[in-house]
Amino acid sequence: MRINLTRFWSTEYLTAKIFLVSGAVWFAVGTSLGLFSAIHLVAPDFFANIAFIEFGRVRPAHTNTVLFGFVTGMLIGAGVYILPKVLNTRLFSEPMGVVAAVTFNLAVLVGDISLLAGHSQGREYAEYIFPVDVMIVVAFLLLTANAVMTVRQRREPLLYVSSWYVVGAMLWTTVMYPFGNVLWRGRPGAMSGITDAIFLWFYGHNIFGLLVTPLAVAIGYYMVPRIARAPLYSQLLSILGFWTLLMFYTHIGGHHLIQAPIPTWLKTVSIIDSFAMMLPVAIVLINWWYTARGRFQNFLSNPVGKFFLIGSIWYAIVCVQGPLQSLAWVQRVTHFNNWVIGHSHIAVLGFTGFIAIAGMYYVLPYITGRKIYSTKLINIQYWLVLLGLLGFFVSLTAAGLIQGHVWLHGGTVYRSVPMLKPYMTTRLFEGILIIIGSYIGLYNVIMTFLKGERISE
Amino acid sequence: MRSSEAIIVWGSLLVVVAAMFATVYWPVINIRDEPSDIWRPLQSQEEKGRLIYIANGCTYCHSQYIRPQDWGIGAERISQSGDYYRQIPHLLGSQRTGPDLSQEGGEHSDDWHRAHFINPRFTRPRSLMPAFAYIGEEGIESLIAYIQSLGGKDADQRMAVQNRFHEEAIAAWERGPDEHIRWLHSRVPQPWRIMPSETPATRASVARGEKVYQDYCIGCHGPVGDGAGPAAPYIYPPPVNFTTLRRHLIDGQYIGGILYYQIMNGITGTAMPYHKKDLESAKIWDVGNYIMVNFINVRDDRIPSAGIPVSYEGRHAKPVTKNPQPEPIQPGKGGVR
Repeated sequence: MRINLTRFWSTEYLTAKIFLVSGAVWFAVGTSLGLFSAIHLVAPDFFANIAFIEFGRVRPAHTNTVLFGFVTGMLIGAGVYILPKVLNTRLFSEPMGVVAAVTFNLAVLVGDISLLAGHSQGREYAEYIFPVDVMIVVAFLLLTANAVMTVRQRREPLLYVSSWYVVGAMLWTTVMYPFGNVLWRGRPGAMSGITDAIFLWFYGHNIFGLLVTPLAVAIGYYMVPRIARAPLYSQLLSILGFWTLLMFYTHIGGHHLIQAPIPTWLKTVSIIDSFAMMLPVAIVLINWWYTARGRFQNFLSNPVGKFFLIGSIWYAIVCVQGPLQSLAWVQRVTHFNNWVIGHSHIAVLGFTGFIAIAGMYYVLPYITGRKIYSTKLINIQYWLVLLGLLGFFVSLTAAGLIQGHVWLHGGTVYRSVPMLKPYMTTRLFEGILIIIGSYIGLYNVIMTFLKGERISE
Repeated sequence: MRSSEAIIVWGSLLVVVAAMFATVYWPVINIRDEPSDIWRPLQSQEEKGRLIYIANGCTYCHSQYIRPQDWGIGAERISQSGDYYRQIPHLLGSQRTGPDLSQEGGEHSDDWHRAHFINPRFTRPRSLMPAFAYIGEEGIESLIAYIQSLGGKDADQRMAVQNRFHEEAIAAWERGPDEHIRWLHSRVPQPWRIMPSETPATRASVARGEKVYQDYCIGCHGPVGDGAGPAAPYIYPPPVNFTTLRRHLIDGQYIGGILYYQIMNGITGTAMPYHKKDLESAKIWDVGNYIMVNFINVRDDRIPSAGIPVSYEGRHAKPVTKNPQPEPIQPGKGGVR
């Protein structure tokens, strides 16, 4: 019995399997949590006085579940498969990866339950309570160690760009997560006063910049040459992209506080670096799209390729919108309203989420030895999530512009509330499309494990 | 190629740590960690309320900082870093689906908040805020204490005004409903008391007034204007029953100016908030016309006045007094310095 357990822990790709399946589960759970908040913004008395699904409790549970459970988990799942592959080796320690995967998912579960029960640290994207923060840090320590050791035991001398990003994402998160969550101060997990806001938004933006973006980029660099069946356009660009991303992304947290009382020079730095972010993004996209040039048919004829390609287009959109909305002049209208919610959805679900889903479907056959259960279902999921998200983006951006202009031109917040109604209503139904897509995806993943057609060796 | 992994690990770590130093450590050690002129420490009940605020995610809809371009509640003072002294964690927020709360203390009375927390639609019919009856009476009281502390010493000053007139309003109510109305009218400056509605009570005006009434007034004053809206049980002194106002017309004819003044400025100390930031002048006259026509069964918009009518009022405009003989304005009177 004991021997069997040890053998089970060491099953090849078990870490990736856990992360990919849990990612698909959290996608369904996370979007379902979003449904409660979306319903709330249409009919606030629909679930009146049910404490654990009250808007202010469900919202952080939703954001943390999709950001950590779904996107981060799924990207790591694909990442721990890709890393040894590009290094021509195996993952250094499968049991170590499994412990990390279980710890990470347990953290999301405990974190969500405690948020719904009213235990929150009250800082956006850092709401999880202290023990959960510790679990996440432990998981990332294990992942970093595993990734670094995998690199050390590689049989391929050249370090392909994907491996830098995977190692980097885990390493940087291990440093940045406890820093941003102010772990050394224990239970409150916060600094004092305006200092806390500076800590939080350094961290808040780097969850995106140093965790999910590098992982998504790593997967892109792995998938593009394979799907296009062409060599990478430029190794030099990939090096430039890596270091510029790291240098600029780490400085832009202050753009969340442009009109708050923080030092002006910090705002200036954050705006300049936000604009500079167009450079690494352009580099990555040029590298991907030039690699795929003339071979886009390979992407469009394949639902996994479509997910990826649209993900890269969302990346382009979100990274033009982002720098523009960091400008104080633009933020006068767009800050504090649904415009920003629209932006964060195309960033997390559009860019990193689409690429995570693409990575999952791409990797799944290799680690299960089975074809994806149904290509048709991937296509249906693709259209549901894409149409849902497009509508989401349009609805929220419109709502945000209305709110922003009402306030800027002398209207009170209460005057802007009824104006949200049509947009919150369309958003609800667009969200339901995404949720249906997430459940179809989950079904497809489970059925791949159970009934997927075996690939002959 | 062995060296490249060291560059990636140590080099990138160096960049991240340098960024932490430059964009977090450096600004943080250079911020003066001092309270602002309005800061004061929270008392224990306020601190309890703050925890409820955090636990229930109030911060996802309510920001707590006033920007230079803001017009709404609290726009009198742009937030300063010292306002957040010793706040752990900060609650600046990133969304403003509901109003900013950094200066909310003393903006509304305690009983307004009580009704509002039981169900926000009771006092703000178009609100999207969740009902918070589930946090219980004690929790609501703590939350109210916290909300009333927002704005520090400025909030305390506003609360002092609330409390002063709260006592006066209760004393008046306890002398009977008619005495209450008389007190309310005595708290309206003289020129407003004898001012008839300045907007003709046309069908269109009353229809617009109805919409305003439903969006702002119905929760307390009720659909038939009898002061028995769903918020009424939580409010003391209770909301005015408009139907009783027929007994209180000034000189048997005027009431429009009083309604306007009280809707505009509210009645500090009671649950009646001011509406001059929410409603433009025309809307206040319209809702006054609606109340008069529907609940008091009176019109004072036909009383002639010396005013020059607005052109759009055309044939609906009130009659102009023949041969008006305006009194010359005395220097030193009428507030002219």
